Amino acid sequence: MNRPVASPPAQRESGLNWRQVGILYRREFRAALREKTILFNSILIPIFLYPFLLWAAFTGMMFVMGQTETLASRVAVGQWPEQHPRLRHQIERHKQIEIARAVVGEADASEAIRRGELDARIDFRHPDGKAGEMPGNFAASITFDQSKDRSVAARERIQEIIEDYRTTWVERETMARGIHPARWQTFTLDFQNLASESEMGAFVLGLMLPIIFVVMVAVGCFYPAVDAVAGERERGTWETLMSTSATRPSVVAGKYLYVATMGGLAGALNVVAVLLTVKPVFAPLFEEAGRSLKFSLPLSSVPILMLAAVLLAGFVAAGMMLFATFARTFKEGQSMITPFYMLILLPVVFLQVPGLKLTAALALIPVVNITLMLRESISGDLQWLPMLVTLIASAGAILLILRLAAFVLKFEDVVSGTFQGSLFKLLRLRLRKTSRGT
Amino acid sequence: MNPPVIVNQLTKTFYDDSRGEVVAVNQISFACQAGQIFGLLGANGAGKTTTLRMLATILKPTGGTATLMGFDVSHQPEEVRRHLGFSSATTALYPRLTARETLEFFARINGCPPATVNERVNALISRFGIRDYADARVDRLSQGMKQKVAIARTVAHDPPVLIFDEPTVGLDVLNALEMQKVIAGFRDEGKTILFSTHIMSEAEKLCDRIAIVDQGRIHACDTLANLRLATGLRYLEDIFVHYIERARTTETR
Repeated sequence: MNRPVASPPAQRESGLNWRQVGILYRREFRAALREKTILFNSILIPIFLYPFLLWAAFTGMMFVMGQTETLASRVAVGQWPEQHPRLRHQIERHKQIEIARAVVGEADASEAIRRGELDARIDFRHPDGKAGEMPGNFAASITFDQSKDRSVAARERIQEIIEDYRTTWVERETMARGIHPARWQTFTLDFQNLASESEMGAFVLGLMLPIIFVVMVAVGCFYPAVDAVAGERERGTWETLMSTSATRPSVVAGKYLYVATMGGLAGALNVVAVLLTVKPVFAPLFEEAGRSLKFSLPLSSVPILMLAAVLLAGFVAAGMMLFATFARTFKEGQSMITPFYMLILLPVVFLQVPGLKLTAALALIPVVNITLMLRESISGDLQWLPMLVTLIASAGAILLILRLAAFVLKFEDVVSGTFQGSLFKLLRLRLRKTSRGT
Repeated sequence: MNPPVIVNQLTKTFYDDSRGEVVAVNQISFACQAGQIFGLLGANGAGKTTTLRMLATILKPTGGTATLMGFDVSHQPEEVRRHLGFSSATTALYPRLTARETLEFFARINGCPPATVNERVNALISRFGIRDYADARVDRLSQGMKQKVAIARTVAHDPPVLIFDEPTVGLDVLNALEMQKVIAGFRDEGKTILFSTHIMSEAEKLCDRIAIVDQGRIHACDTLANLRLATGLRYLEDIFVHYIERARTTETR
């Protein structure tokens, strides 16, 4: 395709015209709200997808757990301990244990467990060594399959019965010998959780919210960025726009602000949706586990959240617009932006590192800094210096990308959409030309 | 008084991966007067569109100069575009805006004073007969309706110069005739019109002056009557072939 032989004399374009930026921004936004794909990906998915996914995942998990609970464990027993008829009675009378009398041999039982026809086998035997000298003592061995939920449940049930029986038996025997349990149960263990219900809720939100936030801002920017450049070219409206009296910087600024707004909006809407739905979804789950959590966002984290939305959306929009500039069709746009999209999601891994704090050094890494800042603001543990570094580093990264975009848009064939290739090809060609020139 | 459009030695060179350096437009010069239709007549790839795109400041000239209403295309592109309405087969409309929103957008972005935008848009809606579907989205309009909206958006800011690059391409006969009438109407209002086509009958019917373009050069530029006199041929088709063959023969020698 065509590209200029030499850099043509630059046309003297004025800088930003904010009136034009406003007109272009409103047009982009109005059109976007009428586009199903953008509306779906940037507005509806943030509101409904993650709350729905959370609800679906936990409902599914509870359903599976409930199913396992109601299923009886099929257990084969090698040989009952003769001196412990009560233990035998407890196992046999347990409502969720069925004794499989048909399976006798150890090898047969193992095979049946592997096939899923049996859940566990208990073998009671006389213990070796010193333990064997104690009258009435026994050793129990449970054979099960860790890869099968039902088999694991069977092991847990048998283990619980035997351990309870052992405690009762020991207490009874020591009492019979005139020793009170308090005399031999010397060390006791107790737990005290200092975290309040709100702090525990903030901890869970801090783990979850930044990840969803980054994903949603990226998703929110994705389609608008592709549509704002490649979509215009594909529909044939790019040349129409270029023939208006809007300055090129105004066109770029209008589109950039629109893409950033969509990203920020998607992130903010998602946070609100998650906050509204997290309580009914998570709270019952934790209550079942014996913990009560309060899910509320600390008031102090709201401005940080807004700042994070602005910075992240600004960064993601700038990057995506830069890559999308080279696309001539929607498909090209999608494939050019996707690597950047994946790159943005990579820092989310940092959130999984236990005990990781936002330091001044980490605050220099785009996206990582914002996600960590967000997490710490939710848990009320934010330090001002790393936050300031985050602000400066993110603003710097945005400016750097916008400068690169301005440089790229000096090339006529990039603006007109006749350049065939990506950002990297253009930079390679341009750098080669520069090095030849020198 | 200077003509509204003056083109002097305008040149555009491209680099093509397979063909190397390509001179798309080669030192062409012409001028257009107000109240006239100036036609660029040439085969596909002759350089018509490149010339018009340079005048619309979509492409940057590699050499030469061009002014539009006294503004230089290389150095005052925004002023040029403010005084220009550009329409081509590749300038589509925003499908998700209504006809009215489209006209408002183009009026505003091209510098129409905000207080006069509504009045201007209503006037255009009446003039082009699009009242019945003014509030319908463009993507739901028929080809003929879209064409009317496209013309209306080209003149939304009432520019003194209009460029129509092959405006009837893809239109059926009735719509093409309608388009020709509209363009002739703009001339009667005193606008300066640049018009490119490869359809001889269209040029014959509409153009006050015709430039015959081939391989980036203008080989003849005059009124149809003078071209007939100069060649002794009656039909524009024959006149066109005469000049193209003469140019190519000269080049071969």
